[in-house]
Amino acid sequence: MAELLVQQLVNWITLGCIYALLAIGFSLIFGVLNVIHFSHGDVAMTAPFIALALVQGSMAVVGVTGPAWLLLAVVVAVLAVGVIGIALDKIVIRRFRDAPAMMALVATVALGIVIRELIRHLYPQGSNPHAFPRLVSGMAFEVAGVSVSWFALLVVAITAILVTLLFVFLRMTALGLRIRAASEDRVVARMMGIRDSRVFRATFFIASAIGAIAGLLFASYAGVTRFDFGVMAGLLGFSAAVIGGLGSMPGAILGGLIIAGIEVLAQTFVPDGASYRLVFVFLLVIAVLIFRPAGLLGRTVMEKV
Amino acid sequence: MRQDIASSASPGKSAAVAFTVASQLVGAVFLYLILKADGGLQIVGLLALLGLGFFILEKQPWIAEQAMASFARVPLVSMITAGIIVVGFPFIVGSNTYILHLLIVAQLYAVLALALNFQLGSANIPNFATGASYGIGAYVSALLAINFGLSFWLTLPVAALAATLFGFIIGIPSMRTRDTYLALVTIAFGVVVQQLLNNFEWTGGPNGLVGIPAPSLFGHSFADPLVVFGWRLPSQANFYYLSAALVVVAIITAHRLHSSRIGLAWNALRADEIAAKAQGINVAWYKVLAFAVDAFLAAFAGTIYAFYVSYISPDNFTFLVSVTIMTMVIVGGMDNIFGVIVGAFLLTILPEKLRAFSDYRLLFFGVVIIGFLMIRPQGLFPQRMRRYGGE
Amino acid sequence: MSTLLKVENVTIQFGGLVALNDVSFSIEKGSVLAVIGPNGAGKSTLFNVVTGVYKPTSGRVTFDGTEITGRPSYEVVERGIARTFQSSRLFSDLSVLDNVIIGMHTRTRTGVLTALFRPGVARREMDECVRKAESLLKLGSGDLFEQRYRPAGTLAQADRRRLEIARALASQPKLLLLDEPSVGMDETETDALVSDIIRLRKENPDLSVILIEHDMRVVDAFPQHVMCIDYGSRIAEGDYATVRADPRVQEAYLGKAAVHA
Repeated sequence: MAELLVQQLVNWITLGCIYALLAIGFSLIFGVLNVIHFSHGDVAMTAPFIALALVQGSMAVVGVTGPAWLLLAVVVAVLAVGVIGIALDKIVIRRFRDAPAMMALVATVALGIVIRELIRHLYPQGSNPHAFPRLVSGMAFEVAGVSVSWFALLVVAITAILVTLLFVFLRMTALGLRIRAASEDRVVARMMGIRDSRVFRATFFIASAIGAIAGLLFASYAGVTRFDFGVMAGLLGFSAAVIGGLGSMPGAILGGLIIAGIEVLAQTFVPDGASYRLVFVFLLVIAVLIFRPAGLLGRTVMEKV
Repeated sequence: MRQDIASSASPGKSAAVAFTVASQLVGAVFLYLILKADGGLQIVGLLALLGLGFFILEKQPWIAEQAMASFARVPLVSMITAGIIVVGFPFIVGSNTYILHLLIVAQLYAVLALALNFQLGSANIPNFATGASYGIGAYVSALLAINFGLSFWLTLPVAALAATLFGFIIGIPSMRTRDTYLALVTIAFGVVVQQLLNNFEWTGGPNGLVGIPAPSLFGHSFADPLVVFGWRLPSQANFYYLSAALVVVAIITAHRLHSSRIGLAWNALRADEIAAKAQGINVAWYKVLAFAVDAFLAAFAGTIYAFYVSYISPDNFTFLVSVTIMTMVIVGGMDNIFGVIVGAFLLTILPEKLRAFSDYRLLFFGVVIIGFLMIRPQGLFPQRMRRYGGE
Repeated sequence: MSTLLKVENVTIQFGGLVALNDVSFSIEKGSVLAVIGPNGAGKSTLFNVVTGVYKPTSGRVTFDGTEITGRPSYEVVERGIARTFQSSRLFSDLSVLDNVIIGMHTRTRTGVLTALFRPGVARREMDECVRKAESLLKLGSGDLFEQRYRPAGTLAQADRRRLEIARALASQPKLLLLDEPSVGMDETETDALVSDIIRLRKENPDLSVILIEHDMRVVDAFPQHVMCIDYGSRIAEGDYATVRADPRVQEAYLGKAAVHA
């Protein structure tokens, strides 16, 4: 029993970190633009395809392969997805920042369809699942008879590093302060002229690149990637961000851990829980929003009358 | 009081009749052509024609004004013309069952879009669970018919009541949550329903339910061809008329609610919730009511769908279906009954016709939605001011 | 005369901020109370407490013999309190006429079933609403009736304020709360507003009005009962001359230094 618990604990933390990274992107973009970027999950899931294409491309052209190439491909994919994020903002999302919330929601849902279909058409045999390698393999150490993989450690380490970097960036740099100002008080930010394109570019680059890392980790965790993984990744990341409280970074992390926790709990303790895991996840989402309409760590904004 | 409203640019009676009949015939001919169209070039041509039409309407607003005035002037003539066109359409289409099938689906989507329009259009409440209400309607009626041998006509009200109850339940969180948060609540409900349908044994799991018996009316089975005065119409015609009748019910429902104090209350809370409360509107109740009405109508559409295809599975009622319905409302024009129906027809028929572009259909669909929202967010037919005093 | 509205020891806090501090006052049937005070003094908050937008932290609000403390807005309207907003909150995408008809919400009955299955009944009720709304629009100053099919959002500032008053009157209130009705009006329009209110009181002798005003021309027109609020507290009450002469009121408006200079 203890082994099972430890094993599930490791799974929970791994999955929770991945969801948290996805949720951070949703939260960051919502904070700055007040727009839900529903296709953020799809943007994130383009990363494993880009990495795979690079690895296969390099093998075909240069004829070499190996961990170094994989690492390089991953880094390039993350940067590329960051740029894709900026482009999507420029072409589509930015136009909806002052539109009714529903318009932005539907537009980004459609954007998600477009991204998925593009992956499917542009990637060779894009409709099929493609195996994705573990970024690191092997077991790091053993706790209570359970070996903890290097991969789990990697996920936790990356998340910790990214969250720290993001924290430092948002607190210590001029650009980060402007992003925070823009997300904390939109009216003041607008008056101060902060809503310039640099803030948007930076926000989308960071959110999309972090999303890309989450996408790569997710594909690596699942051992496989598919063009339509973005739907669930998006829904779960969005849910995590919302129950944590949109716009709140600690909320996004908390939300990610909660969602992953419910998933793991359902799979472990409920008979046939694996098939019902989404039911549990979304029932929890509903319950949280009924009792905490602005999310767990979100601030309730009182409308001035 | 009456005459000063009617006076402004009111067309003469005969002109109004001519205009009414002509405009409806043009619409019907266009629908027929697009249904018949085969091959990319014809479709592109017709779409260009459609675009031109909307361009002209945009540049010459008097045409739309004139049309509205004409319809209002001779409502009986417009209704009779519309009736003749709807009843006559299957005779013109003949034995082309594919076209009839498209029309049935388009009509069911029109009902779903009208249902959602109460929320999205009138009250601006997001609801990504219309697909789930649609599914609940379909499953409840199918289960009743398969397990208890209940007739179609009896399952219809039961399914509607069950879905309405569901509507009330998903409406309750709307009292406390708004916008993005509420959107997520409805998405969550939609996923939960779809996942449960997918996992329960008694709903047939992912395989769904098969063998839903065809309804019958006065001894005439809907599985049999429809014979009218020696004309033999394929069995789909039965469902065509059934769904057409439902569209009429939905239009009447939408129209009556829109022009009553309920429609005004929805519009009020859409514009400004606090001001609406200050007028004595119980905002929470009206929000829940919008959810319930939506679910009620969607269940009717679901029931007809289940009995029409005689096979349903959870895949028919996914999140994407809800998004499609939302898109129809937005593209057609929020809070505009006619626009919403046009949106439903266009977005049902176009993707089918784009089979010509085979695999790129969904991609095209996504691009069209985004382009539409950027270029014309108010929809093809924007909402209109209410007019009083006319008949 | 009998008391229509009675506010007793109302205090409301937002976090650490005390927006209203132990405010008490009452208003008789058929009278006018003018509430003055510097910006941010808590005047609008007072309206929000009375109309149920905010629930007071402590204290009681009694209207027409019934306690309404913290009752929801829609119930308060039904009981007969109508209001306008400082930043006129019209339904801007609806027509002028529809705005007024929505104001009659509590005086109409059509529900879903009536609308669907007894369209004749629903239509008659709506026709009656249109008739009443049109006469309300004809009544006041300005030419709102001629503009009745315009979207309310396109109205000029003065017309917006007039429309808000017409919408509030549509609910047949016993008590009308006007939150700075003269904002954005020029002198002629303000004078017309004053005579509108005077005419209204003549036609409905039982109607009580509470006015929040910055424009002393308006306050001067209803000098019998004036209350001044500063920093959430009532600092003076009485007729206009008394309140104006009160050193605390002068202090609130002009600052301490100016008064003692």
